[in-house]
Amino acid sequence: MLSWIVFIPVVVGLIGFLLPARVVGWWALLGSLVSLGLAIALVAGFDAAGGALQDVVDRSWIPQLGVRYQLGVDGLSLFLVLLTSVLWAATVLWSALQHPDRPRNYFFMLGLAQTATLGAFLAQDLLLFVLFFDLMLIPFYFLIGQWGTGDRIRATIKMIIYTLIGSLLMLVAAIATAVLSADAVGQVTFSIETLRQFPLPAGSQYWIFAFFSLAFLIKMPAFLVHGWIVDAYKACPLPVLALLSGVLSKVAAYGFLRIVMPVLPDAAIHFQDVLLIIALASILYGSAMAFTHPDIRLIAAYSSVAQMGFITLGIFSLSSTGGDGSVIQMVNHGLVIAPVFLIVAIIAERSGTEDIREMGGMARHAPVLAALFIIVTMALLAIPGSANFVGEYFILQGVFETKVAIAVVASVGIALAAFYALRMYQQTMHDREAAAGVSREIAFREAIVLVPLVACIVALALYPGLITSRGTDAVDRSLAAVSTDASPPPEALAEGGWTGYGPPLETAEAPR
Amino acid sequence: MDTTWYLVLSALLFAVGAGGVLVRRNPLVILLCLELMLNSANLALLAFGRNLGNADAQVFAMIVMVVAACEVVVGLGLIVAMYRRRVPLDVDENRGLRG
Amino acid sequence: MRTGGCADEAEPGQRAAGSFGDAGVSVTTWGWLVLAFPLAGTVLIGLLFRVLPAKAAGAIGTLAIAAAFACSIGALVAMLGHPADERAFADTLYDYAGAAGVPFDLGIYVDQLSVFMAVVVSGVSMLIHLYSYAYMGSDAGYRRFFSYMNFFVFSMLLLVLAGNYLLLIVGWAFVGFASYALISFWYRRETATRAGMEAFVINVVGDIGLVLAAILLIKEIGAIDFGSVFERAPDAFTTNEWTIVAICLLLLVGAFAKSAQIPLHTWLPDAMEGPTPVSALIHAATMVTAGVYLIARSYPLFDLAPTAADVAAFIGLATLLMAATIALVVTDLKRIIAYSTISQIGYMVVGVSIGAYSAGLFHLMTHAFFKALLFMAAGSVIAAMAAIQDIDRMRGFRRAMPFTSATLICGALALAGFPGTSGFFSKDEILTFAAERGGMYWIFAIGGYLGAILTAVYAFRIVFRVVYGEPCREAEELEGGHLAHAEPANPATGEAEDTAVGFPGPEHHIAEREWPMKVAMAVLAFGALFGGLIQIPGVTDVLESFLEPVFAASPIASAVHVSTTDAYVGMLVGGLCSLLGIGAAFYLYMVAPGATLRLRDRFPGLHRFLVNRWYFDELIDAVVYRPVVACGRFAYATFERVVVDGLTRGASDGVSGLGAVVKTAQSGFVRFYALLVIAGLAGLGLYFLLAAS
Repeated sequence: MLSWIVFIPVVVGLIGFLLPARVVGWWALLGSLVSLGLAIALVAGFDAAGGALQDVVDRSWIPQLGVRYQLGVDGLSLFLVLLTSVLWAATVLWSALQHPDRPRNYFFMLGLAQTATLGAFLAQDLLLFVLFFDLMLIPFYFLIGQWGTGDRIRATIKMIIYTLIGSLLMLVAAIATAVLSADAVGQVTFSIETLRQFPLPAGSQYWIFAFFSLAFLIKMPAFLVHGWIVDAYKACPLPVLALLSGVLSKVAAYGFLRIVMPVLPDAAIHFQDVLLIIALASILYGSAMAFTHPDIRLIAAYSSVAQMGFITLGIFSLSSTGGDGSVIQMVNHGLVIAPVFLIVAIIAERSGTEDIREMGGMARHAPVLAALFIIVTMALLAIPGSANFVGEYFILQGVFETKVAIAVVASVGIALAAFYALRMYQQTMHDREAAAGVSREIAFREAIVLVPLVACIVALALYPGLITSRGTDAVDRSLAAVSTDASPPPEALAEGGWTGYGPPLETAEAPR
Repeated sequence: MDTTWYLVLSALLFAVGAGGVLVRRNPLVILLCLELMLNSANLALLAFGRNLGNADAQVFAMIVMVVAACEVVVGLGLIVAMYRRRVPLDVDENRGLRG
Repeated sequence: MRTGGCADEAEPGQRAAGSFGDAGVSVTTWGWLVLAFPLAGTVLIGLLFRVLPAKAAGAIGTLAIAAAFACSIGALVAMLGHPADERAFADTLYDYAGAAGVPFDLGIYVDQLSVFMAVVVSGVSMLIHLYSYAYMGSDAGYRRFFSYMNFFVFSMLLLVLAGNYLLLIVGWAFVGFASYALISFWYRRETATRAGMEAFVINVVGDIGLVLAAILLIKEIGAIDFGSVFERAPDAFTTNEWTIVAICLLLLVGAFAKSAQIPLHTWLPDAMEGPTPVSALIHAATMVTAGVYLIARSYPLFDLAPTAADVAAFIGLATLLMAATIALVVTDLKRIIAYSTISQIGYMVVGVSIGAYSAGLFHLMTHAFFKALLFMAAGSVIAAMAAIQDIDRMRGFRRAMPFTSATLICGALALAGFPGTSGFFSKDEILTFAAERGGMYWIFAIGGYLGAILTAVYAFRIVFRVVYGEPCREAEELEGGHLAHAEPANPATGEAEDTAVGFPGPEHHIAEREWPMKVAMAVLAFGALFGGLIQIPGVTDVLESFLEPVFAASPIASAVHVSTTDAYVGMLVGGLCSLLGIGAAFYLYMVAPGATLRLRDRFPGLHRFLVNRWYFDELIDAVVYRPVVACGRFAYATFERVVVDGLTRGASDGVSGLGAVVKTAQSGFVRFYALLVIAGLAGLGLYFLLAAS
């Protein structure tokens, strides 16, 4: 099952080379719909209780090196797999309707990228994860380099070198983890599940942690190492950017939960403050950039930096509440930022520029577009009532339990988010019409992609418990070694009896 | 006869070949000098083989000769092709691989 | 989204709602229905906006709110069927996002307080929808307007019916969004969009306060639904412990942002950029009183944190006086009423903060009546003036618009607290409570009466300048039967209006010519004049006895008891204040019309200070906005270029540089390579020779 999910996209992409160029887009769409269907089936068949891995595939792959082909899904990755499939289906549909040049190559690269991403989410073997993680770079290198705009060659080289530095460090770290723990384990193994049972001594954990963190923070991107996004995002074709920002950044955050927390718990505790500060800086700095930058694409990009900061904050709160928040926020953010970039594509096409100062009045003849955009904007700024709010709330709650000051400063980020998100909406949609722009209603080929995505946002806003209820056990498991409260909360934390929907509380004392 | 003399001869041949490779600029001559170096190695192999009474060395020498033949085929082919295309037959002029 | 509520009604383990089957529809079912209708209205109008005929959208919107009002009444009636101290019902639809340690249910909590709020909100909203049905008649965004308005009512009802703090925050933020959408409803006006953004961002600041308060509550108590929180709070906290004070202060940040109290009040006057019915509904009658509701709802927490309650009371008093003084000098008709709103909410905040809970809520209700009425009358006048809002240009409408003038006077009487009107009873109840509580709280009584004089002055400043005097040109034309028309222009900046979208429409609608406006205003005028009669001290006391069980646990409310005699003494003082203020206004604006100008010339500094609204906008601009933007600019212009980009370029240049170094070895000279190989071999051989010997 999981192997099917992972490899169908690339196989579909390969078969696409044999087909006429006209139909290859629709063929790729079919493939992505099939993998979407499989992902939905995966969610439907998921057993929420326990948090253990499910649908495990475990085969020997390179026995000499102790590398195994291990796939598995749990509450951490379940909805990320679904998110990946949803966003890829949206992007493929969008692209199929736009008719890119050299469609066979284009859709093959998209398929390869999907395979790599899904593989990274599902891999349970450290080396397999690293492999898929690096494989993701290749298709994006070509997608930006060949179908991008502007100074794309320089941008891609910069991106590749920068992120490869991180990847190589991660490779070193992965090998070091396996080799150093070989004595304790009895053999060289890369299985995350095994490695977590034999934690390394704290000293080696520290530098390995540093390597992993650097790789993930660059990919995310986080404050200070986010330099590559400016050029890469400017050059990236917008549908691909929706994926880059919506899914790839999540792989990094997911890596923290999947690998760092279970395998390197001592280091995670040791470096908690450092990572929290970096996350906080990402939030504030990303927000500050987002409300001063005039380029709409980069506003969305920097908002992404800020949101990823929130996710990191939740993970490194080292509490299960914060972890739950991060898991749901990863899905939320992907689901919101992708339509943002697609809307940016629509707006940029209509106004002929990406400078927000030269836009305005787009809502005039486009009420549906404006309505979709305002929903997305509200979700982006995490208005209470959206699933994003639930995520941010859990994250703040988790941080608050241990680091009050950081939580309070982070909450400033929410106000800043309101400002930059609304600024983006207002300056494009409201006020007088710009001289150059045209206000045109959303076309069918755009609506058919956007409307389902927005519907997903609304649906998730109605029931975020869909994710939290399935994720919470897995988060507890992931954080078991680092958290003080990852065990199930005391019964007093459940609903009280007074309101009439829970068992009556025997003792009225408040838990302290 | 003492094996030493064979080895001395082999060393001399090798030195001549190596010197040729280093100083000559004509690819044809360089190829010849390469052959000289290979055969000096063959001579050393056979001398040692005879000294130790082991026939394996002759097998090695045969393989080296086959490789040398192949090399000559490819190398001569390339040189002829260069000549036909009026590429100067001078290895210092052909620096397309410069980084 | 919550329309499926009734199906899940019979949840097992309900404390009270399930215990009686014979009374028909239960209280909580009514509660869910109250929420369902406005939401259905929003969705229906929103989805069908292309096919619905314009007036049908207005009709659907109005009927949806009317249905919500009927259901609120239904809930009230169903509740009255229960004994007085068993009138709190909770019901939950589903577990919204429960996870480790954070119980987050989609549940409502219906007790006397929330039913009272629901009835007031849906009732006033219904009338304002009726008014808008006619008033917005020629607006290009008619359908959009009703969709937003229904969404607002849904959000507001969600806010008052929410069963836990998180859901309250959801409603809280939704009303903020509705307010944003409606302030920037005429989105071609830059002033309107900017005001909308200001309102939204300040409200988000308030949201953050609430969120942090909820986080602290979960951390300290482990529960978030009202029932558990209030039950456990007395055990969890000692009085004035820093945590409970922090929680209450954070709640106050939210309350002050929403209810426009110092220093978060600047958005409300600017919010007058929205259509007048919006000002009436959101920025006078309902949304802005949410802060008062929040304080009253959280009274068990405030009882534990008297310090926070006192802070709230003092800020309320300061706001009350500040806004009243500004209202004396502002010339924009809607902004006068807006400052009056800020000031009146100050009264309510004082009331609920010093323990006069039912009095504060009573004032909330009467204020909703008369303030909505004042805005409606103002809307009618503005329409007659062809969208001019400056009262310097208005004069003498009493013959041209007899109905509007009469209702305006009714509203002003109630606002000024003229003896016998609704505002008279409700304001005095707060102030006599303050006096009765004694000690420091005398300050609030004295300040409140001082404010009452100012209130009467500015209320009748409007009346005397708009209704009386020589008719202005527009009034004269209207007497001749012709409604004024003007080139559409933004009333704030005077720039020409884009007439296609985002403009009130080429036609104007005045109450004299539209029956729905007339009906709505007549009902509200009745409420403004006689609404106070339900709560005459010692005679009727309907509201107080209804709300009394909710606040029974409060030590302050039960300790301080205003005797009937004291209440009448207070009413005497209040009546005198009101008459004094009206008399002053009469002197200033009728007897000696030049008096205000002379006053202005005598105190130019004071006048400038008031006209500039105490320089609060400038203060916020200098303290918050500019530093933040400066940080952003610095980050953008300097830090990003130098440090971040330097890091990236450093890494990629470093790698390329390393490549360049290695590259030089690739000279392309074959013989050089050969030399390297042979030298290497020779070196190796030499090494082994030396090592062997």
